[in-house]
Amino acid sequence: MSDVESIVKEALEQFSRAGAPAELEQVKARFLGRSGALTEALKGLSRLGTGERRAAGALLNAAKERIESALEARRRALAESATEARLREEALDVTLPGRGRGRGGIHPISRTWERIEEIFASVGFDIADGPEIETDWYNFTALNQPENHPARSMHDTFYIEGMHALGADGRSEPLLLRTHTSPMQVRYARMHEAPIRVIAPGRTYRVDSDATHSPMFHQVEGLWIDEDISFADLKGAYTDFLRRFFETDALQVRFRPSFFPFTEPSAEIDMMFASGPKRGQWLEISGAGQVHPDVVRNFGLDPERSMGFAFGTGLERLAMLRYGITDLRLFFDGDLRFLSQFD
Amino acid sequence: MQFPESWLRALVDPPIGTQELAHLLTMSGLEVESCVPVAPGFSGVVVARVLSVQRHPNAERLSLCTVDAGQGEALAIVCGAPNVAPDMKVPCALPGAMLPGKDGAPFEIRKVTMRGIESAGMLCSARELGLSDDHSGLLTLAAQASVGADLRQVLGLDDHVFLLKLTPNRADCLSLLGVAREVAALTGAGVRPPETPPVPARGDSTFPVRIAAARACGRFGARVIRNVDATAPVPEWMKRRLERAGQRSISALVDVTNYVMLELGQPLHVYDLDKLAGGIEVRFGREGESLKLLNEQTVSIDGSVLCITDGSGPIGLAGIMGGNSTKAGFATRNILLESAFFAPEAIAGRARRYNFASDASHRFERGVDFGNCVASIERATRLILDVCGGEPGPVTDTQGELPVRSTVRMRVARARRVIGVPVDTREIAGIFDRLGFAHRLEGAGDAESFEVTPPSHRFDIAIEADLIEEVARVHGFERIPAHPPRAAAAMRARSESQRTLHALRRILAERDYREVISHSFVDAGWEADFAANGEPIRLANPIANHLEVMRSTLIGSLVASLRYNQNRDIERVRVFEVARVYLRDATAQAGPLQLAGLRQPMRVAAAACGAALPAQWGTARRDVDFYDVKADLAALLPPGEARYEPAPHPALHPGRSARVFIGGAPAGWIGELHPRWQRKYELAGPALVFEIDAQPLLQVPIPRYREVSRFPPVVRDCAVVVPNAVPWQDLLGALNEARPAAVQDIRLFDLYRGQGVDAGGKSLAFRVVMQDTSRTLTDEEADAVMAGLSEILAVRFGAKVRA
Repeated sequence: MSDVESIVKEALEQFSRAGAPAELEQVKARFLGRSGALTEALKGLSRLGTGERRAAGALLNAAKERIESALEARRRALAESATEARLREEALDVTLPGRGRGRGGIHPISRTWERIEEIFASVGFDIADGPEIETDWYNFTALNQPENHPARSMHDTFYIEGMHALGADGRSEPLLLRTHTSPMQVRYARMHEAPIRVIAPGRTYRVDSDATHSPMFHQVEGLWIDEDISFADLKGAYTDFLRRFFETDALQVRFRPSFFPFTEPSAEIDMMFASGPKRGQWLEISGAGQVHPDVVRNFGLDPERSMGFAFGTGLERLAMLRYGITDLRLFFDGDLRFLSQFD
Repeated sequence: MQFPESWLRALVDPPIGTQELAHLLTMSGLEVESCVPVAPGFSGVVVARVLSVQRHPNAERLSLCTVDAGQGEALAIVCGAPNVAPDMKVPCALPGAMLPGKDGAPFEIRKVTMRGIESAGMLCSARELGLSDDHSGLLTLAAQASVGADLRQVLGLDDHVFLLKLTPNRADCLSLLGVAREVAALTGAGVRPPETPPVPARGDSTFPVRIAAARACGRFGARVIRNVDATAPVPEWMKRRLERAGQRSISALVDVTNYVMLELGQPLHVYDLDKLAGGIEVRFGREGESLKLLNEQTVSIDGSVLCITDGSGPIGLAGIMGGNSTKAGFATRNILLESAFFAPEAIAGRARRYNFASDASHRFERGVDFGNCVASIERATRLILDVCGGEPGPVTDTQGELPVRSTVRMRVARARRVIGVPVDTREIAGIFDRLGFAHRLEGAGDAESFEVTPPSHRFDIAIEADLIEEVARVHGFERIPAHPPRAAAAMRARSESQRTLHALRRILAERDYREVISHSFVDAGWEADFAANGEPIRLANPIANHLEVMRSTLIGSLVASLRYNQNRDIERVRVFEVARVYLRDATAQAGPLQLAGLRQPMRVAAAACGAALPAQWGTARRDVDFYDVKADLAALLPPGEARYEPAPHPALHPGRSARVFIGGAPAGWIGELHPRWQRKYELAGPALVFEIDAQPLLQVPIPRYREVSRFPPVVRDCAVVVPNAVPWQDLLGALNEARPAAVQDIRLFDLYRGQGVDAGGKSLAFRVVMQDTSRTLTDEEADAVMAGLSEILAVRFGAKVRA
C-alpha cells in the first residue's frame, strides 16, 4: 500500500503549500472530493476479497483521518494568519491625541480662596459671605470708626450715588462699596451665638489704582470668639494657617503692634520665606488683633464674657506669593494666556 | 513722620545702633518704613580754602588751584569746576580718599598728573560725593567751616533719615519729643527734652483773644513780638534738620514754627500783627462766610468749621491753615505767635472736606499735647529772638475747656486673659512708669487692678483695652507665645443637599470654560446694551468713566473678555464668572444679609465663541452653537426638571434666547448674543451666553433608590409630524404628564425637516423605553401604551404619526 502512503504524503504537502482558504478547499477536493484520490482508492476496495478488504479499509480510513486532521490544522493556521493580518492592518497610531472637548480652569484667586476655606474648615470654621454694597454703619461705625475718625482716611471709599440706608438712629446713612470684609464679622456674629468661628472671603473695593493697587480686590476675614480666645491664640492660629497654606514649617511669622479701630491690641503680621526668590524679606501679609470691646458689643455679645480675635488678609497677596505672580493687574484682565497657567 | 537720627539722639541716646533702633521702633508699633543714610560712604574728604586760582597752562577748561586743606602746606590741585574762586570753602578729597563710585563701588583718589601738572587731590561737587545730583560746580561750604575738618563731621553726614509710618492712634509720636519718649520707654534711656525756660518780656504788648467755642478751643496761647527781622537767614543747623525731616526751608519765621512743631509736636501760627483788625475771636463759622487760605485756595465756611476771626471776619481755619490776609511775609516787622489747642472732634474731617491736608490738621485731628502750648511758645520765642531778633511781650494763655484725663481701670486678670500670658504685676507697673502713666495698684490676687491716669500727650487711652494694648506692646509681641487655640472637637459637615460655588466652578472648568474675575463696576453703556438698564446703580466717585456703574448682569464683562482674547488671536474663547450683580429692588427689606431697596444675588455666567471644539484631527470644525452651550448649562443644573421658554432678552438674539426655569421658578437666561452687539462689540462670530442665579444651582436633592427591574425592557420608536412652532419641550411635557407607570424613559433621537414632511412642519422621532418591575410586558401592552401616547400628541398638538 505504498500508494496510500504516497497519497497521504502528497496531500500533506499540497495542503501546506496552499496559501489561502479557497486554494486549500480546492486541494482538499483532489484527495477527499467525489473523484479525489482517496475516494477512488476507497471505491477500489469493493474489488477486493473480504479479508483483504478489511485490512485495506482500515489502512485507508487511517489515511483519511490523517488527511482530514491535516486539513483541519491547515484551515486553523490559515484563519489565524488571516486574523493576524487583519489586526496588523487595524493598528492605530496610539500617540495621536484624543478627541473632544478640552478642559478649562479655575482662576488663581478662586484656587487660593478654596484652599483657605479648606484649611480653616479643617478646624471647624464656618464660611460666610454677604453684601458688597454696604451701609456706612456696617462698614465703619459698627467697627468703631465713627464719622470723621482719622482711620477712615486709611480707606478711600467708593460711595453709591443717590442711595441711602436708614440708620439705627433714624438718620439716613450713605451706601458704599465695602472697603474690607470686616462688615461680615458684624453681620455673621449678629446672626449666631458664641462660640463663633468663621471666615468670610469676598470682594472688596477702594479708590486706588496703580501697579500695586486694584480698585477691586479680595480679602478673607477671620473671626474666632469664645470665652477666652487670646492674642496668643491668634498668634498660634494664624501662624499655623500660613505654614499650612505655604506648606512649609520653615516660614517665619512675626506680629508687630499696629492700629485698627476694631481691634485692640492690633497687629500687623509679617512673614518670611526660608527659601525661594523672596527669602529673607519680611512681607506684610495681614492685619489682625483682639476684637475691640465696642465691636463685641455691636456683635450683640457681652465683652466680659466673649472675647477673641479677628484678621483680614488679601487674597491677591497670598496668591501672588504662592504662585510667583508679579503683577496684580493680571488677575483682572481675563487674559487666557495667563489664566490657562492655572488649569 | 520723617526725621534724622541725629536729631532724635539729641533727645534720647540709647546704647544701640541704627538698625537695632529701627527694629525696636518697628516692633513697638512705630513702623520704620525706611531708614537711609543721608550720604553714601566716603572718607578722606576735608574742608579746604581756595587760596589762588590760575588757568591751567595746557587746558582751557581746567584751573590750577592752590588750597589750604589744613595739611601744613598748601596743595596744588587741578580743578575743572566753573565756580572755583579764591577764598571759597570747598570739599577736598585728599590722596587716599575713598569716594562713592557711580556703580556703588568706592574708588580711591590718588595724586594724578593732568595735562602735565600734578594734582594733589580733588575738589568735589555735591554729585561727586553722592550728596545730590548737583554737578554744576564745587559744593560751596559755609564760610565759618574750619579748614582741615572732616567733611562728614562738618555736614553731619554720618546720619540716617528715619521715615515712620505712624498709625492714627499715635499722634503723640508726630514729634521728635514723642518718638524720644517712646524710645525711652522701650529702652530705659533718659529723655532730654529741649529746655524751654520762660523768655522774659520786654514791654507789655499783648493782643486780645476771646474764645467763643470753649469746647473746640481748649486753649489759645499767644505772644506779640515786635521788631523782628523776617528776612534774617535761617541757621544752617536748623535748615539741615528741617530738610532731613522733609521740610523745605522757606523763611526764618516759617522755619521756626515748623521746627518747633517737629520738635515738640505743637503746630504754631505766625500772624502779621499789623494786618490784624481788632481782637481775635475763636468761633465756629457762619453760613455764607468764606476765606482765602495761605495756599491761595478760597473756601466757603459753614457752622461746622472752627475759625480764627478778627474784626474783618475769618482769618484762618483753626488748626488747619491760616488765611492769606494776615500772613507774615518778609516785610513783616511785628508778629503775633499762636500756640493753641483745638479739640480733635472740632478739626477731624474738615480738611478732607476741603480736599487737602496740612501738618497742623493732621496733628490736631489726632490730638496735640495740650500741656505743651506755653512751653512751645517759649521755645519758638527763643528761636525767633536768636534768629530774627525782636522784643517779646508777655505770653497770654486764654483758656477754654481742656480735655479731662480721667483714670482708667485695668484689671490685671483681664489683661492676662486677653494677651494670653501671665504678665507679672510688677512688670506692668514698670511699663506704666516708663510710659509716664500715673498709676495706683488696687486689690490683691485675682482682683488686682491698676488705676491709671494717662498724660496729656496721649489721646488713645480711654478704656481698659487701651491699657492692655500698651502692656502687650511694651511687654513685646515677640515675647507672647503662639499657641494653637483649643475648641471642642464637634464634627461639622455641609449638608449633602448643598453644593458650593467651588463645585460649580469645577463643573464649568471641566466643560472647557476658564474662570475670569472682572470688575463689578462697568461702563454705563454695557448696562444699557446688555440689560436695558437705564437706571443703573451709580458710583458717586468712580475711578474712571468706564467704571461708573454697578453691573446688573455679568454678560457685558464676559463679552469684553471674549473680545480681549480675540484681539490677541485666540479664536476659540470660553469663559465664565461667578460673581454678584447689583439690582435695585424697592421690595427688598433690610435683613441679616441684605440691604433695603437692593438685591445682590450671586450669579454664574458663561460665554463661548469660535469653534465648538478645539482644533483637532478627525473632527470637522464648526462654530459653537446654542445646543452646545445648552448642554454645558445642563451639566451645571441640579438633577430634575429644568424648563426653557422662548423669551426676548436685551442682550440676546430674539429667536435664539430662552428663559431658564429651575423647579418652576425663573433662574436665568441662555441664548445667542444679539447680532447687533456682536457687531458693536467687534466679535468675530456669534457668541453664546448663559447667566443663571447661583442660589438654585446650589441645592441638589438627596438620591432615593427605585427598584431595578429584572425583566427585559420593551423599546418602541415613534415619529410624529408637528408644526415647526411646537417646541419639543411641550410634547415631552404632555407625554410625561400622561406617562403610564411602565414608561421608564422618553428620549428624542431625531429631528427631520424636508422631503416627506409638509413644509412648515417637522418630524420628531422619539424612543420610549418600557419596563415593569414585576413581569415582562407583552407586545399588546406596549402597543397600547404607544397608541395612547400618539393619541395625546394628536389631540394636543395635531401631531400625525409617520409610518
